[in-house]
Amino acid sequence: MPVVGYLCPESPELFASRLKAFHEGLGEIGFVEGRNVAIDYRWAGGQYARLPALAADLVARNVDVVVAPGGAQVALAAKATSTTKTIVFEMGGDPVQLGVVDSLSRPGGNITGVSSLSVDVSPKRLELMHELLPFAAKLAVVANPTSPTANSQLQKLGSAAETLGISLQVLNASTENEFEPIFSAIAQESSAGLVVTSDPYFAFRSGQLARLAMNYRVPAITQSRDFPDSGGLMSYGGDFAQSHRRAGIYAGRILKGEKPFDLPVQLVTKVELVINLKAAKLLGREISPSLVSGADEVIE
Amino acid sequence: MESVGGRPEQVPLQIWYCKVRNVQWTGSAGMIVRERFRGLFKKYLLVLFLAVTIPLAINGVIEAWFGYRDQRARLDQFLGLQATSAAAEIHDFIYGITNQLGWLVQLPWTDEPDERRRTEALRLFRQAPAIVSLTLIDNKGLERLYVSRIGLNRIEGRTDRSADPAIIGARSTRIWFSDVSYNRGSEPHLTVTVVGNRPSVGAVIAEVNLKLIWDVISAIKVGKTGLAFVLDRPGRLIAHPDISLVLRGSEEATSKPFRTIRDAIGPAGAGFATSQDVDGYAIAAGAAPVQGLDWTVLVEQPLSEAYAPIYAALWRTATLLAVSTMFAALLAYALAHRMTEPIRLLEKGTERIGAGSFDYRISIQTGDEFEHLANSFNKMAEGLALAQQHQERIAKLKRFLAPEVADLVDRAGDDSVLDGRRTEVVVVFCDLRGFTEFSAEVAPEEVISLLSEYYDALGRVITRFAATLISFSGDGLMVLVNAPVPVEEPTLRAVDLASAMQKSVQELIAGWRSRGYRVGFGVGLASGSATVGRIGYENRFDYTAIGPVVNLAARLCASAQDREILLNAEAAEGVRNKRPLEELGDRQIKGFGDAIPVFRMSLKTS
Repeated sequence: MPVVGYLCPESPELFASRLKAFHEGLGEIGFVEGRNVAIDYRWAGGQYARLPALAADLVARNVDVVVAPGGAQVALAAKATSTTKTIVFEMGGDPVQLGVVDSLSRPGGNITGVSSLSVDVSPKRLELMHELLPFAAKLAVVANPTSPTANSQLQKLGSAAETLGISLQVLNASTENEFEPIFSAIAQESSAGLVVTSDPYFAFRSGQLARLAMNYRVPAITQSRDFPDSGGLMSYGGDFAQSHRRAGIYAGRILKGEKPFDLPVQLVTKVELVINLKAAKLLGREISPSLVSGADEVIE
Repeated sequence: MESVGGRPEQVPLQIWYCKVRNVQWTGSAGMIVRERFRGLFKKYLLVLFLAVTIPLAINGVIEAWFGYRDQRARLDQFLGLQATSAAAEIHDFIYGITNQLGWLVQLPWTDEPDERRRTEALRLFRQAPAIVSLTLIDNKGLERLYVSRIGLNRIEGRTDRSADPAIIGARSTRIWFSDVSYNRGSEPHLTVTVVGNRPSVGAVIAEVNLKLIWDVISAIKVGKTGLAFVLDRPGRLIAHPDISLVLRGSEEATSKPFRTIRDAIGPAGAGFATSQDVDGYAIAAGAAPVQGLDWTVLVEQPLSEAYAPIYAALWRTATLLAVSTMFAALLAYALAHRMTEPIRLLEKGTERIGAGSFDYRISIQTGDEFEHLANSFNKMAEGLALAQQHQERIAKLKRFLAPEVADLVDRAGDDSVLDGRRTEVVVVFCDLRGFTEFSAEVAPEEVISLLSEYYDALGRVITRFAATLISFSGDGLMVLVNAPVPVEEPTLRAVDLASAMQKSVQELIAGWRSRGYRVGFGVGLASGSATVGRIGYENRFDYTAIGPVVNLAARLCASAQDREILLNAEAAEGVRNKRPLEELGDRQIKGFGDAIPVFRMSLKTS
């Protein structure tokens, strides 16, 4: 029975919905865990620093393919460990820019995968927040300094802010403990709204962020739909269900014998806007009809 | 003298009979006959087999050929239909987008910012996921709105786009499509421009991610495992159920095999072609153009699947042919057997008949010429049996009858002439004088040689006069005239017979004398009443005469000198004035009480 090594940056609880999508993808190719494929899991439990060690552990085990979902950090950790073991990644950033693959159509080497447009659309989140708060001169941005995409996102956000004619309050957080100070800082600095950059650490802690945002009455937008689902205001980002499902398909195709260099990197072009009107009401904000009409999902 | 020749119809029978016996006796000839019949079976078998098999095979081949053509035509139709339907779906996908774009170019532009259009554009994003970005151009060719899923929107940018090829291109056709471009070398994109029905409503330019045709193309199934794909005008892959191929569509190596398929078909709609798919498997492919775009939709089906009905039909035909051939072989065997069996029976029958089993009958009940032939053979065998009986009887009769007489007796059909009766006969006895003494002195071979010459000479005379040879012993001989078959003037015939005997034998004696042998020859002849008939046992029969006249003739012979023929009075009376006789007066004859008159006829020395 072939073995899939599954390198996960989070805990099984936080990753459940993604894992489900991954299993669906494997199932499309005809693999069902326990029946004709075994999955060897490694859980980093949110401690991203552990990823290289876990990746090395998986590679040392005789797995047929390493699946590295949940962000550029996971992909890079896996890639750094092995140049022979086939790796299928799932991330939000641009894999070429991050040095994960050589090109989208010909990834090269032993690695390929799926990328959503979450990282690319960070400025779009700023635009949406600006549209919601057209008269706000200053908006807060939170980034994870440990994320490989943090700098590029901040750069794009900076130029977008310039275009929109607003100023940015840049805040950093790389642990859960740093979340609350951010919101108190926003309240102090009188930034009208918060744009959360694309980062898996943030995405997987959408519930926590939503709670804090509502507590501090801060209008916020993140990449993951988990945020509005948990009571947050808005989200704009790639469809993780699709990206994880496609990662599952690619893992299955590799188990069937296809080579990673024959499988171009897939971009999940679907970007979804989810708006929670209940949260807007609680925040006392009116959301324009054009914004609502453009939303893929509206929670009332 | 009556004619005593054999019956004419008996001659051919006899000849045929000899031929048959020859065939049967000659071993090699028999082998040839058998070989020929074995060859005949083979010939019949072959001819009958071919007579059934060749039409079957021709029929099978023709059927297979037409089946193949029909199936190809059906496949052509099927693939053509599939391609057309797939092309229609691709067309619907693209024109679904252009129709929706049409709603954005309904109302004339004003100089005021238009919030409503932005709302509509965002709503369109939700409805058409393939649209990446939208640009609305007003009647002056200025960009009024740009909305994107990824990049920042631009509202009232007012840059002049009137020179944009997308705008220029759409002016004449209302709907304009760019060439396909591959975003970052991977995702195929298409720019679509739609202008309104009047200049004041401006135009809309949409960036469309063609990757999303996947939803349409992957849902198209051609047969069981066939698929459809789309190529643009230069032959690059735009859509395929395997998205990873599409994402490499800009690469020559990826698109080339697909282009090869397109080229194999030639101008779209020219019927299906066989080619190879990416993995090198043989396929059947059809094509159809997408209306309004310079694209080609191709449908392919593995050849094994496409030709499955053809193979099934061919297999069916082959099986049927094989079964029919086997059946034909059995039938041919049975028929050939049925045809050669009577010949074999005839062969066996003729051999048996030839071997002399004339009572053998060939039994063939086929109701045809063979039965007639068998009956003919049987009749012939019957005839042969009769002929043989006749031959045997003749052979027996000839032992004591002249051949002509024997034939005559045989022709009479019964042996009643040989029955015992009392009749007037002339009995002739003859023997050599001094032969007993002579035989004691000479070597036995010489004796037998002389006797052979002697009987040879006598035999010819007896045959000539159609006399009945009764017996011979040593150098003596008894001949009967007028029995069993009566003749005219028996006495005269007997006297002439005796004279001829004397003449023949005397010629011999002359020769012998020159060799130093001193023998003479005398004949006794008596005419009178005697009892004649057949005597003997089992198959050994003789015809004989009993009575004083026989004894008298024997005595007369005994008393005859060399060159003498002695006759009794009755015989002499029979030839009086016809042949020169000399009366010798009465003589005492042994066994006869009184002396009886004896006559002599001497052989003329001349």
